Amino acid sequence: MAFSSWATVIANLLVPVGILTFSSGFFPYKPLIPGLATFDETGENTTAPAVFDKVIFMVVDALRSDFVYSNDSGFLFTQNLIRSGAALPFTAYASAPTVTMPRLKAITTGSVPSFLDVILNIAESDTTSTLAYQDTWLAQLKATGGRLVMYGDDTWLKLFPGMFDRADGTTSFFVSDFTEVDHNVTRHVPNELAQDDWSALIMHYLGLDHIGHKAGPKSPFMIPKQHEMDSVVTEIYTAMQQQDHLQSTLFVLCGDHGMNEAGNHGGSSAGETSPALLFLSPKFEALGGRRESPVEPSDDMQYYRTVEQADIAPTLAGLLGIPIPLNSLGREEKKKKKKKKKKRSATDTETGSHRLQILYQNAEQLLNTLTTTFPGSKFDSDGTTSCSSEVLSGIEGAQCAWTRIQQLLSTRDESDDPYATAGPALLQFLRIAQEVMSRTASNYDVSRLTLGLLITGVAGLFVLPATYKECTRHRSSGMFLMLMIITCGMMMFASSYVEEEQQFWYWICSGWIVYLHIKSQSQSQSSANPILRNRFGPLIYWSDKCIILVFAITQRLLRRWNQTGQKFAAEPDIARTFFTRHPEIFWGLFIFTYVDAGRYLLRSIPITGILKFGALAPTVLAFTFKLHFVTSESPELLDGTFISQIMKEWPYSLSLVLHARLVFYGLAVVVLLALVGKRSTVPRAHDTIHEALHIFLMTQSRATNVPLFLLFRIQAGILSSMNLTGIEVTITTLIFQYMTFFAFGGSNAISSVDLASGYNGIDSYSVVLVGVLTFASNWAGPIWWASQSHRLRPKNPEQNPSALLTFYVAMSLVSVMAACTALRTHLFIWTVFSPKYLYSMAWATANHVAVNLLGEVIFSRSRS
Amino acid sequence: MALDTSSAPGASSLTPQAPDEKPSAPPVNILPSLIARIYSIAHPALLLALGATRFEAVVANPTKELLSTLPWLTLIQIFYVIVCLPPAGSTPSTETSASAPADGKSSPRSSGPSVAARHGKHGKRKQHANSWACIWSRLLPALLSLSLTFALATPVLTILLVLFGAPLTTHNSETVLCAAHMAVLSATALTYAHGLDRAVWNEVWGIARPADAVWGSALGTGLGAWFGAIPIPLDWDRPWQAFPITILVGAYIGYAVGSLLGRTPLVYGKRVNFTAEEVRETEKKIN
Repeated sequence: MAFSSWATVIANLLVPVGILTFSSGFFPYKPLIPGLATFDETGENTTAPAVFDKVIFMVVDALRSDFVYSNDSGFLFTQNLIRSGAALPFTAYASAPTVTMPRLKAITTGSVPSFLDVILNIAESDTTSTLAYQDTWLAQLKATGGRLVMYGDDTWLKLFPGMFDRADGTTSFFVSDFTEVDHNVTRHVPNELAQDDWSALIMHYLGLDHIGHKAGPKSPFMIPKQHEMDSVVTEIYTAMQQQDHLQSTLFVLCGDHGMNEAGNHGGSSAGETSPALLFLSPKFEALGGRRESPVEPSDDMQYYRTVEQADIAPTLAGLLGIPIPLNSLGREEKKKKKKKKKKRSATDTETGSHRLQILYQNAEQLLNTLTTTFPGSKFDSDGTTSCSSEVLSGIEGAQCAWTRIQQLLSTRDESDDPYATAGPALLQFLRIAQEVMSRTASNYDVSRLTLGLLITGVAGLFVLPATYKECTRHRSSGMFLMLMIITCGMMMFASSYVEEEQQFWYWICSGWIVYLHIKSQSQSQSSANPILRNRFGPLIYWSDKCIILVFAITQRLLRRWNQTGQKFAAEPDIARTFFTRHPEIFWGLFIFTYVDAGRYLLRSIPITGILKFGALAPTVLAFTFKLHFVTSESPELLDGTFISQIMKEWPYSLSLVLHARLVFYGLAVVVLLALVGKRSTVPRAHDTIHEALHIFLMTQSRATNVPLFLLFRIQAGILSSMNLTGIEVTITTLIFQYMTFFAFGGSNAISSVDLASGYNGIDSYSVVLVGVLTFASNWAGPIWWASQSHRLRPKNPEQNPSALLTFYVAMSLVSVMAACTALRTHLFIWTVFSPKYLYSMAWATANHVAVNLLGEVIFSRSRS
Repeated sequence: MALDTSSAPGASSLTPQAPDEKPSAPPVNILPSLIARIYSIAHPALLLALGATRFEAVVANPTKELLSTLPWLTLIQIFYVIVCLPPAGSTPSTETSASAPADGKSSPRSSGPSVAARHGKHGKRKQHANSWACIWSRLLPALLSLSLTFALATPVLTILLVLFGAPLTTHNSETVLCAAHMAVLSATALTYAHGLDRAVWNEVWGIARPADAVWGSALGTGLGAWFGAIPIPLDWDRPWQAFPITILVGAYIGYAVGSLLGRTPLVYGKRVNFTAEEVRETEKKIN
């Protein structure tokens, strides 16, 4: 016993060590070349002259390609421009992670952002993500003496501190705001169009993304918002036609990323990675590039030509006559280039050499980046005899291609069109180099990966004896647990099972329910009290048989509460579809849940007399807070219900922050009361704490998820009537923790992290507090079941479940780490497997150590 | 999942656990005639082969194909139970009274050890082969079991399918047809062999029947359907990943496997028993 508990402690110390070791090898470090690029390195003096001297860069957050190009788009004027040839439409492939900050990095630097940016995107205050010291086209413009102006998403201000001469940032924190965020940008537009001192006007509209997050791409708000954006385009384009100082201005309209059918983004589905990209200028009309519009997509969301989002930076650089940002991996739009050249060409040869020169410039810049990343590789014109034509990828391929370019350039005839000879080779080099560099956004330290894997594996080995003993003692339950661990571990190697992990937990849960049913049936046959059976006869008999059906029904409701994952995310569910259609049912359940919570808190509070009713205060506060929160966060839930009538009359004297604090203080008082209560009432203390936790977690959950706690109550009641053994409680808790995490709308994608409740009661950013609150709001279900598990456990002191839980956590970590190591060159490593690894980290540290084990340490005394 | 070896074979060892309960029916044997023995093995293979030929059509149009194959499946199943299984009420030891009542409710059930039963029925039944009375005595329970399959088992299985995750707001016809197929696979033989014996159905509800060809195939159908859900979330974008298809394929395969496994001597008569030691252990602790 002593050995096994020590082994558990050691194992739990080893798990974080393993995580740290693995992470240090897994998250890539990308070499950056400091400083700004200049032209002189290219050697030749004929720099391609600038075509435009100003740029208006309009980013519409989550502007998916079909929002602009499809038949039911609101961008009517823009489509008109496409037809007249004044707008050159593209679909810009935005590689995952498709969240704003990494995408902005890609657009401005032309590089592929590292995965760390995703985490930094969430930890908003972080300043390490700043691009102030990196080479971007903004910095280049600034270096040439231009002035920059920025309106919209304040991510830009964080990325480029001190870069803008005039700026007005809007925060994207309140997602329910569809109009104000955009008005705040649009109101500056007429002013700025009248000014002629800037060389770049950047606008970033957030409203469309907010609509997507709230109501999805098919929301009724979507088309009006597109009309609104289109009217901004109209305003700017008309100004460009009419105003003299805007004569040679390039207008870029683009999305930073798209959205999936549920309106979320972060992953790598076609919808998320396909934002629109348009270059607009009256000058383009002369090129005669008329296109049809609206059109049908050639592939899923692919309209017109698909380019890389990282290509925007070099293209802009070329068009504005500034050097290409140093770390850029982008290729210039050769098509656009060609067109532009055609317009200004004198002779064919000159065009060719110009074009070649721009490409060569681009190639040299990429070569620079390549040699910094791979210091060992040689890029010289001689050598490389083993250069077969098949090797067209990887660093060797790049070397080959470079050699070929050098050979072609040195042997070429002056009379030939230089572009025709060396052009294809240059393009090929660019393609290979881009590929190589995108991949080394991820150079792993494999030895550390292995070490981390080993340490976690050893942690698992430490608890193996205790687990084995426990599993052999309860053969069938142990077998079930082992099968669960093995299947769950195997699943981590398949990207679609990682994306759809909730399906596994729902599936295994239905199996576990059947198991419990069989067990309780055989138990009731063998050990039912005959006196009881005779007295209540058929009633007991039937309730015995059918209670499991109620349990299965609640589980089925849980399953459909929030659709999550990738494949079925857009299908109708209860929280989003049913409740918006039947708000009165939602509010009925909502109120009932709070009434139920208040009733239980009242019953478990360890004080007597009239003071007892003081316990109602936190419940009432929590209820009104949630209503308050809903009116300011998601008012559409209130539309046309009796609640909205009440809320109209509500005196808004309290701020949300203060209101939340009052709730938390009230609950803290309840917990204190429970703790100072008499020693003999320790089990009741846990009851009180559980009820306080119940209300706290309800406060931290989305309003539509609040009725889930009512379901939990029913399920807990049924489970406690089943007289589960220790190991069965452990397995049930494990399954329910994972299942409820997904039922609350969680998934293994970064995009599903719910940040809305992370700032409850906080008025300034604090990593710890926001972290704890965000964790509680995303892991509300798991925390609830961890607390409930202590109430389900049989009274007699059995084997501590810590060993089993630790074993499970270690094994699941091992499988996720192994999957990440084995599949580190997989296409989806950054979109599917690394987010899963991040989630596993949270499960292993926060949920396992902080919630499960701490709870075990605190409450195990109360059972014995 | 562990098979409790102590209660095999037959029901005799169950009695000490529940003294006031009526002893439940013993596992069902395939009829001893040569045709029955051969066909009972060929039948699952036949079903799988037929299912394989219709697979493409089911993928193309599940509702239409499932509906049009349902009568054929029913006919094959009826043929199977008539040829291979003893009807309800015709307990092996009293097989000589050929006109055994078809109604399972009224027939008292003798529960002799099945080992003895296997010896007893051999030879005696041969007299009745080819006799019309015999065929009638089997056709009637077969038809009764059919009506029960469609009137009771199909709705129950539909509800269970939904509880296990089948869509409720869409795909309703598919769910019902899937349940109907599963019901014909599992419930026809169960009702034919056991009638409405309450003890048996209690055991079915508690998944505690002793293993035989009938129960094996029914349990296999359910387990197979459960495992059939596994490929649905994969991102292969194949048309056969649509809702009822994998479930049904799993059910058919499970049926065949369970039906063949259930009669092998290794598992015959054994029960699914999850709580081999735990119950006794906890009981000791409580007392």
